[in-house]
Amino acid sequence: MPKYHLNLAHLYGNLLNTYSDVGNIIALQYYAKQMDADISVKVISIGQEFNPDEFDLALFGGGQDYEQFVVSKDLPNKKAGIKKFIDNQKPLLAICGGYQLLGQYYIGANGERIPGLSILPHYTLSQDHNRFIGNITIKNEQTGDEYHGFENHNGMTFLGKGERPLGKVISGHGNNGQDKTEGAIFKEVYCSYFHGPILTRNGEIAKHLLLAALHNKYPEEDFSKQEQLTIKPTF
Amino acid sequence: MSLRSSFAEAAGRSSYWFLHTFMNGGSSLPGKLTLKLDPNILQAFSKKYDLVIVTGTNGKTLTTSLSVRVLREKYDQVLTNPTGSNMEQGIVTTFITAPRPKKKGLAVLEVDEANVVKVTKYITPIAFIFTNIFRDQMDRYGEIYTTYKKILNGVKLAPKATIIANGDEQLFNSQDLPNPIIYYGFNHEHHEPFDAPANTDGLLCPKCQHILKYRMRTYANLGDYFCPHCGFKRPKLTYAVTKLDQLTPTSSTFELDGEKYKIGIGGLYNIYNALAAYALGRFLGVSQAQIKDAFESDERVFGRQEVINVDGKEVTLILVKNPVGLNQVLDMIETDPQPFSFAFLLNANYADGIDTSWIWDGNFEKLVKHEIPQYMTGGERYKDITTRLIMAGVDKMWHEPDLTHVIAKIKEMPTKHVYILATYTAVLQLRKQLAEKGYIKGGMD
Repeated sequence: MPKYHLNLAHLYGNLLNTYSDVGNIIALQYYAKQMDADISVKVISIGQEFNPDEFDLALFGGGQDYEQFVVSKDLPNKKAGIKKFIDNQKPLLAICGGYQLLGQYYIGANGERIPGLSILPHYTLSQDHNRFIGNITIKNEQTGDEYHGFENHNGMTFLGKGERPLGKVISGHGNNGQDKTEGAIFKEVYCSYFHGPILTRNGEIAKHLLLAALHNKYPEEDFSKQEQLTIKPTF
Repeated sequence: MSLRSSFAEAAGRSSYWFLHTFMNGGSSLPGKLTLKLDPNILQAFSKKYDLVIVTGTNGKTLTTSLSVRVLREKYDQVLTNPTGSNMEQGIVTTFITAPRPKKKGLAVLEVDEANVVKVTKYITPIAFIFTNIFRDQMDRYGEIYTTYKKILNGVKLAPKATIIANGDEQLFNSQDLPNPIIYYGFNHEHHEPFDAPANTDGLLCPKCQHILKYRMRTYANLGDYFCPHCGFKRPKLTYAVTKLDQLTPTSSTFELDGEKYKIGIGGLYNIYNALAAYALGRFLGVSQAQIKDAFESDERVFGRQEVINVDGKEVTLILVKNPVGLNQVLDMIETDPQPFSFAFLLNANYADGIDTSWIWDGNFEKLVKHEIPQYMTGGERYKDITTRLIMAGVDKMWHEPDLTHVIAKIKEMPTKHVYILATYTAVLQLRKQLAEKGYIKGGMD
């Protein structure tokens, strides 16, 4: 039996699962095992309550336009819970649609403005008949780590006050194809447009999220051994 | 046929003859040339053929070839298109190179979802078969709702054609259409209502946007669905699988409407294809006995999944291209009672899909429960699939980025049975190697 146990909320996991987001859970479980921890996963979907105190980690993935629109209508019911979760410095990984929905709004397929949670300050516009598709490499300017992934999005996201990019674009398009930023970091919320899925290729991010969750849940414990975990090359 | 059409057809025919005689191939170029000379060329064939269009994400090829086999029990000649020639150009080539029918002929064509409208614009079909709609290579195709819309754009031009649709697919019940509709599906089990696994696409009720529940689920989001909120549910099935008897990687026995049938290919998804062909056959008046004969006659209809003998190893090479298909293949090889070795060859060229994310939706975790003494990964993106398998708990893995070495490695595998899953260009490359070494005749058909 692993010594530590983490509970992960997969927000709308039965609707926002289009971009192989399940891979992020597989990667988290894989690295957690090496940290002497295991992870239980619970899908919290439309009509269900999200209790932030029940969870140590959360994943908010991307979906198709129709599913995302349906999710956007359910979100106000979960806003207080998600805000508390974030304010408590609990780690949340948001990909594509999840990333957009944490922000102020995004523009749907038919040009309509779809409101987000407005917990993070970014907003997302749409491109006319174009998507950013292809392999992408970015560099986290705080840690120096390079992240690799695949992007496929129509949305152009612009960051707001208090959030910094996950990385600077080395090759590819990033948030909006203009300002060389990709993704966002806000408290322990990590946002990105990366498929890959992001954690399967970029174990360093998985390691960071897991350590944040562990420190949060077990504040008295010494995790220096876990901090030493080496991430082997994955691609 | 107009003068222009006749001229265009003649030009296309001679280019086809030239390509086949001197260039060893060419199935889209003659069509392309003909279309250049006469963009309306398909119209010229509308009076010569009754047309059935087979479309959907997975299963087009096998449904088409099985349908042709079934219909040949009743009709003298049935025209069809070779695998992969399912876009407008390939379809034009199929028509212009066919022997001219003396009376009105029957054509059963597999048509790419986005190309349905390009065909129905000129030829009004008598029937459509809808197989299913799943997430395909997203960098090229987009979302399931968009794909269905593309098909319906073509259906709108043929409001009297009968739709023979997979009733287990909720999308096919989501729009009110003027067409007569016949549904086929699985009716072999009934359970207490349950949820589909979370990592499934297309679980929303199209009427009220709540999560669908199931009384029976075959795979992905296919099954006896219903909405607990608004009562939307699976339509009544006209033709159904009523029992599953025995499933192995190389054969399936099952009952359709209470009668026993056998097909020489494994995989639950192929039973759907057989069911669709059966439904079309019944619709066009082929008897159950004739359909049984057609299914059991021993021709190489199942080209994509033949067993190749490599110096005593029984190698099954299977094309994989999207998560639903991949999971169906994993389910199928799991039915092998013998120990086997497992290889996955991953390329990421345009034809494979340049985004390899979908491998994460494959449930490789289930393989670890079986006796698989050797794994191998290969292809240009072997590192991605290696990581996938490592995180699934696999050890004992060989890596072979260079596909020219794969055959030598197969011979070293410790089991008689070897399964090789490969993306499109990896299949082509490996088949080329196998042909050069004399293990297969060559080409991909």
